[in-house]
Amino acid sequence: MHKINKSTKRRLRFAILVVTLIVFFLGYRLIRVQVIEGAEYKRGAMQQWTKAIELKSDRGIIYDRKGRKLAVNITSFTVWASPSDVKNPEEAAVRLQPILNMDSSSILENLKKESSIVKLKQWITREEAEMVRELGIGGISIVDDNKRYYPFGSFASYVLGFTDIDNNGLYGIERVYDEYLTGVPGVWVKATDRDNRQLPYGSEKIHNPENGTSVVLTIDETIQGFAEEAAEEALEKNQAKSVSIIVMDPKTGEVLAMANKPDYDPNNPRKSLDEEINNQWESLPFEEQQQEWYEMWRNYAINDIYEPGSTFKIVTAAAALEEGSANLNTHYYCNGFIRDIPGVVLRCSSWYDPHEDQDFSTAFSNSCNVAFVNMARDLGTEKMYEYIKAFGFGEVTGIDLLGEQRGIIPSGTENIREVNLATLSYGHGIAVTPIQMINSIAVVGNGGNLMTPHIVKALADSDGNVMEIFEPESRRQVISEATANELLDMLELTVLEGTGRKAYVPGYRIGGKTGTAQKIIDGRYVDGKYISSFGGLAPVDDPQVAVLVIVDEPTGIYYGGTVAGPSAASVIEKTLNYLEVPRKYTEEELEATKETVNVPDVRNISINRAGKEITDLELKYTTEYEDFNTDTLVLDQYPTPGVEVTKGSIIDLYLEDGSTNPILSSEDINNSN
Amino acid sequence: MAKQNKRKKPVDFLIFISVIILVFIGIIMVYSASWPEGMVRYEDGSHYAKRHIQWAVVGLLGLIFTMNIDYRFWKKLSLPIYITAIILGLLIFSPMGVELKGARRWIDIGFTTLMPSDAIKLGSIVFFASFLDNKKERVRKLVDGALPAFILIGLSAGLVYLQRDLSTTATVAGTLFAMFFVAGMWLPILGLILAGVGIFAKYAIFSEGNEYRQRRVFAFLDPFADKLGDGWQIVQSLYAMGSGGLLGVGLGQSRQKFFYIPESYNDFIFAIIGEELGLLGTMFVLLLYAVIIWRGYTVALNARDAFGSYLATGITSLLAIQTFINIAVVTSSMPVTGITLPLISLGGTSLIMYLAGMGILLNISRTSTIDRRKPDENNS
Repeated sequence: MHKINKSTKRRLRFAILVVTLIVFFLGYRLIRVQVIEGAEYKRGAMQQWTKAIELKSDRGIIYDRKGRKLAVNITSFTVWASPSDVKNPEEAAVRLQPILNMDSSSILENLKKESSIVKLKQWITREEAEMVRELGIGGISIVDDNKRYYPFGSFASYVLGFTDIDNNGLYGIERVYDEYLTGVPGVWVKATDRDNRQLPYGSEKIHNPENGTSVVLTIDETIQGFAEEAAEEALEKNQAKSVSIIVMDPKTGEVLAMANKPDYDPNNPRKSLDEEINNQWESLPFEEQQQEWYEMWRNYAINDIYEPGSTFKIVTAAAALEEGSANLNTHYYCNGFIRDIPGVVLRCSSWYDPHEDQDFSTAFSNSCNVAFVNMARDLGTEKMYEYIKAFGFGEVTGIDLLGEQRGIIPSGTENIREVNLATLSYGHGIAVTPIQMINSIAVVGNGGNLMTPHIVKALADSDGNVMEIFEPESRRQVISEATANELLDMLELTVLEGTGRKAYVPGYRIGGKTGTAQKIIDGRYVDGKYISSFGGLAPVDDPQVAVLVIVDEPTGIYYGGTVAGPSAASVIEKTLNYLEVPRKYTEEELEATKETVNVPDVRNISINRAGKEITDLELKYTTEYEDFNTDTLVLDQYPTPGVEVTKGSIIDLYLEDGSTNPILSSEDINNSN
Repeated sequence: MAKQNKRKKPVDFLIFISVIILVFIGIIMVYSASWPEGMVRYEDGSHYAKRHIQWAVVGLLGLIFTMNIDYRFWKKLSLPIYITAIILGLLIFSPMGVELKGARRWIDIGFTTLMPSDAIKLGSIVFFASFLDNKKERVRKLVDGALPAFILIGLSAGLVYLQRDLSTTATVAGTLFAMFFVAGMWLPILGLILAGVGIFAKYAIFSEGNEYRQRRVFAFLDPFADKLGDGWQIVQSLYAMGSGGLLGVGLGQSRQKFFYIPESYNDFIFAIIGEELGLLGTMFVLLLYAVIIWRGYTVALNARDAFGSYLATGITSLLAIQTFINIAVVTSSMPVTGITLPLISLGGTSLIMYLAGMGILLNISRTSTIDRRKPDENNS
């Protein structure tokens, strides 16, 4: 053994120096990596650990004005798979198939996808979910989910609309108020390992979702029920293509009911309620199927336009009275025709039995076209056009539903020729939406104000506390209160004595106007297809409701009073009853209820004679209008002969068919009163 | 005074305590870092820690044993030790060899697997120290000193290189060169060595079949360019170090160990220390190593004889080089290469060999003349 020499000691000291330098260098690197650049690395690390999972918020409830739930959420279950964790996809697919009721091949396809998570099936029942859980297949999981549910099925479906599978509102209130209903989804930020398993500790953060705001509708479930019932009845009785009924509070513009039939079930919006139609759809290519869906989802009341016909005479009369171009003492003479417009002859509906001399109110209740043409001429094109616009035609009403149409009105006075002015006076050559029409009727009911119709009354938080109330909004005063009151009286007269008698309800003072127009399809009048309507207000001394009934393509009788009048009467009667508006019988009514007569047999005699026989018995009658003459035979009648009815009852007469004249088609036949 | 230390003088306390602390830190950190993998693979978070503790016990017994054996005894046994180590190294290529994770670096000796490169490290040091001691002044000669020294270094390093383990090869070669340098290598040879290393490195990195090393160099230059591929390990290591910051996320609270860092209880355990214990923890660990290395070289400086000095130099250099490489890799101060952190990483053979080596170092420290306050006592 020899001693250590000096060179070794020197070199060892050198080694100590070298390692010291290295230690300092590494120390510097540690500071650099952990502190100086540390925050940057930390950010990268956090990004790779944290996975954000959206927490869905509970969708707001849709209530009717009395707090009854029209759209709610129910817990449902969704089956998810993480394909990489499913050890035997073939076996899993076979075992899941009977429970999920899906093709085992499509399950297998999903289980073999190269994504970390796949949705196998959304919205299975609790029982099904339990069965899937019991299978205990690794990599298959069940997640609680919220599903939108409409407890009353198709009830008010056009108002409510529906949501897609992810609870996004697609139609109706669900769509318009989607932002409120949805709420703010929460986030669950969690730290996971490289294989996406949650770390046992760490920066888990849950931002709770803010539940959606609930919407309180102006719709009253009970009144909506009356409207739906009446619409369904009218649809069947008239074998119509569709029926639309709107009930509105004329003073506030609140829509109390909006019913369209046929309708659909928002719980299952892609299926018709008619099995036959569903079978037809199945054979259609997807795009055509979609077209059918869009067609089915249209809310006729605001998305479609129609030619209003005589209901529009309210506007003409209102303008004439308001502008003073006519007053209640103005008389009109009807000889059955307007012959002074070059090229055309306009006919009054009662041309075969002209109204002859009438005062303003009688002309209104007779719905005499000749009188209204003259009324519009006295008013002048400028003023007529001004009032059409003032009543809100040609512009959206601003109702809080989607896809509202403006309707079609002449683009300016220069486009209104003589003949146009004449036909406009009785509601031809103009297209309106049902909501525009009822909104203008409401003007008469509330003393002259054009309201913004609305369907949402308030917003409420998830505990039901009201957060915001939408107050009624008046857009403008269109006519004076005096004019409105005069019109109300005339509307009542129309129901009592004129074309609207089918809407008469003893004890309730109802005012209304009927309307019938040929349908326009692709810009042309179509033979034999009509839109019959009735718009009314009640009670006329203090209007509580405005009602509009529109029957699209009734089969057989298409006279607005006959087709739509009874439906309106039924809705008005039930609604006023429900609103506890007391009945006030006039002496006449009390009298009439006591006296009964037997219905005469008027079959196979001319209309002229039949009418005389009926009125002699203090009964009233209605019939299809126009294109018959005094010798046209009555084919059938209802009620049938011999039936005991109270005086003042109306007898429906069915006449021989005649040919029609599209351009000049017009309005109600009148009786000899 | 002399009577209480008749035969046995105390060992170097700083080395002893630093080694013990590092072993305990190792146990805790292996437990923490291996927990997720233990849970996933064996449903037992302490699976790896249990094995590590067993080895630590064996290793500490080994340390106590070698600490109390006069180191000169190893000189007599140096040739058999070296031959045994070489045979173990060659056994890898026999049917006893075990291939794990694409590298053939283990042999199966029945009850456990063993990593021969760890045996080669210590065996080479012992034999090389003996060789240098025997050469005495002749180590300065070229033919008589440097040539046989190079042959020995080449033999030891070559055997490790055959296992496709470049970092251990460099560690072994570096250690033996350090010993040769300290023993009195003719300095101009240093230039030769640097040239040799350069040529070798070029071959090792750019030759066919070793493209993975080339990619590692590129990944080192810009780890984030391919952070999901070649840059993955280093990026994950930096993420761990960075999220630890100054004070760490707390013991046991690492997220990176959840499979972001592959084998976090092994080559990258220092990154987990950095994440859980922060800069404070990494600096403390670095300090413990620095203390061992500094005291180790001091032991060599004051050894009673040249063999002790060379042996201490070898053991210390081995620890120093391997530690420096490991920490340099984890802090992205050099390209990634797979090497464990001495005394801390999981790995039975490595831990036992290192503890045995530390025992030898501590034994040498008993004889050193380090305590200058009482030089008389040390010389008595």
